[in-house]
Amino acid sequence: MARILVVAEQRNGKISDATLELCKAAKALASAMGASPAAAVFYKDDSLAKEVAQYIPEVFSVVDSKLDVYNADAYTAAAKAVVESQDVKGVLIPHTYDGTDYAAKLAMALGCGIVTNCNRCEAQGGAVVFTRNTYNGKIQEQRSVKTDKFVATFEKGAFEKEAAGGAGSVTAVTASIPDARRKFKQFVETMSGSVDITQAKVIVSGGRGTKEKDKYNDIIVNFAKKLGGEFAASRPVVDAGWTDAARQVGQSGKTVTPDLYIACGISGAIQHVAGMKGSKVIVAINKDPEAPIFNIATYGIVGDLFEVIPAIMEKL
Amino acid sequence: MKIAVLVKQVPDMESKFKIIGDSKIDESQIAFKMNDFDEYAVEAALQLKEKFGGEVIIISAGPERASKEIRQAFAMGGDWGIQIQDEQVDAGDNFVVASALCKAVESLGGVDLVLTGVQAEDDQAAVTGVIIADMLGMPHCTNVVKIEVGGDGKSMTVNRELEGGLNEVLEMAMPAVLTIQSGINQPRYPTLPGIMKAKKKRLDVKKAADLGVAAVGEAGSKTKFVKMFFPVSDHKAEIIEGDPKSAAAKLVDKLRNEAKVI
Ligand SMILES: Cc1cc2nc3c(=O)[nH]c(=O)nc-3n(C[C@H](O)[C@H](O)[C@H](O)COP(=O)(O)OP(=O)(O)OC[C@H]3O[C@@H](n4cnc5c(N)ncnc54)[C@H](O)[C@@H]3O)c2cc1C
Ligand SMILES: Nc1ncnc2c1ncn2[C@@H]1O[C@H](COP(=O)(O)O)[C@@H](O)[C@H]1O
Repeated sequence: MARILVVAEQRNGKISDATLELCKAAKALASAMGASPAAAVFYKDDSLAKEVAQYIPEVFSVVDSKLDVYNADAYTAAAKAVVESQDVKGVLIPHTYDGTDYAAKLAMALGCGIVTNCNRCEAQGGAVVFTRNTYNGKIQEQRSVKTDKFVATFEKGAFEKEAAGGAGSVTAVTASIPDARRKFKQFVETMSGSVDITQAKVIVSGGRGTKEKDKYNDIIVNFAKKLGGEFAASRPVVDAGWTDAARQVGQSGKTVTPDLYIACGISGAIQHVAGMKGSKVIVAINKDPEAPIFNIATYGIVGDLFEVIPAIMEKL
Repeated sequence: MKIAVLVKQVPDMESKFKIIGDSKIDESQIAFKMNDFDEYAVEAALQLKEKFGGEVIIISAGPERASKEIRQAFAMGGDWGIQIQDEQVDAGDNFVVASALCKAVESLGGVDLVLTGVQAEDDQAAVTGVIIADMLGMPHCTNVVKIEVGGDGKSMTVNRELEGGLNEVLEMAMPAVLTIQSGINQPRYPTLPGIMKAKKKRLDVKKAADLGVAAVGEAGSKTKFVKMFFPVSDHKAEIIEGDPKSAAAKLVDKLRNEAKVI
């Protein structure tokens, strides 16, 4: 039977949550297509393959000392070997830093179409229709592939995590893993700072809509102080040097879960939302009624933050 | 050092979006600008040129209006450029566009680096740099936040951004393709003399056929567009209406007495 294959992701020997989400997705898609779900695990030994077998009925394990740390050349070769030896119809990969680093390379190696940044997939009369985010989350697009096989990457959080409990099979697959053209040196931490915003109960976060450094400092910092909370920021604010990297919320920054998160002049891009969607109450202040942040906020005010925030501060 | 930078013109995301017939965006309402990530790529290239000499070539695929962004990159300091102006390229998927961009890079007769943005803000695919690297047979690195070229000008140490503030430090040889992440530098603003000079810089306009790209349009694509629509969220914020003063008062009341978080 044709297979829908998840390529597992690991760092420092830990399987990512995104991998477990795709195990769930693969099971649903395979069942709708009359295919079977499987996973491929690449590592220096077969310990992680055995672990993933708790989540999916069939695991293909490529073991090589060169697969200790993620590498694009190695992952492409290993995934290609599994796809070509095991009747794989489609490959599901997390849309993460590692996933986006090799997914397109794998599609090239397989000569098939690739659809990235997806949040849904459905079998429709033999074809798979993928739904994906475009225009910074303002518009959704549907796409399918014209080739026999496909590679697709999925946003983190698009599916729930599959629960452990199964006892799948682990099959070794041999692959010739090339020497990496990029040589791994080390991992470094770049965002450790003096402040730890992850402990705050109230966070006021400013985005590009705060316009400039002085305005960010004036309005966002003072608003946070008045509420007895911490101030934080979206990535463009940190990129521009208006505040410290330790205050960045999102996929590449901190994950926060305060009781109250006030997003001011932040559009609500998926990479930002990834770091704050677990907040208990979310308030969005944005002048654009179509900003995606309103899709996850508890309360919203459509308006100019430079008018709305001073008005709120007066009432506190 | 010869560096090609791929620059895409994209809609300003604060524009008013309207979808025509489930299939395309009404451009009459849209303001265009340079893809954010590409501005960082242009700056990264200019900084390398300042250190090692050489030239920075700007390449873009898009309609006539996209020449504005190429000229902006020229005004920042780019030397010359190629615009692929071909409806059949624009009608293709990422694979078709990448094939055309790749041929344009090949037409330069050997480069040391190809820089792209991490992703285009409109299609958010994050595949173009990786596809081009594969086509050119070059190694690549995505999400680059630091580049240090060795004294030999042939190898480099690169930081690849990972989740939660982690970086992978790695070494690789040139030529290579790097996809550049925002924050790697502070892109310069074009100066007035820069803008004046930009008008006179060489911009070659090419069709797919001029570059030897055979498979274009829908026929050359490996994926098929189905439709587009505005997201329907099963959750929508409770919008608090009114002028700033009354909305503020209502919000504070809700946060105090309904949500009980302040
Ligand atoms: C791999 C990767 C990782 C990333 N990691 C992160 C991350 O960790 N964190 C992060 O935040 N982003 C991250 N990003 C960037 C992300 O995609 C968005 O670009 C970013 O979150 C946008 O920030 P923003 O909302 O402040 O700016 P914009 O998207 O430009 O939005 C600004 C908003 O302000 C509003 N506005 C403007 N003026 C006013 C006003 N006067 N009053 C009220 N509202 C106003 C506008 O309507 C708009 O909605 C990442 C991107 C990539 C590709
Ligand atoms: N039409 C284009 N013209 C020039 N560069 C492009 C084009 N499309 C994509 N790119 C480059 O590829 C990067 C990633 O785009 P994408 O893969 O579409 O998300 C962009 O940041 C650009 O550097």
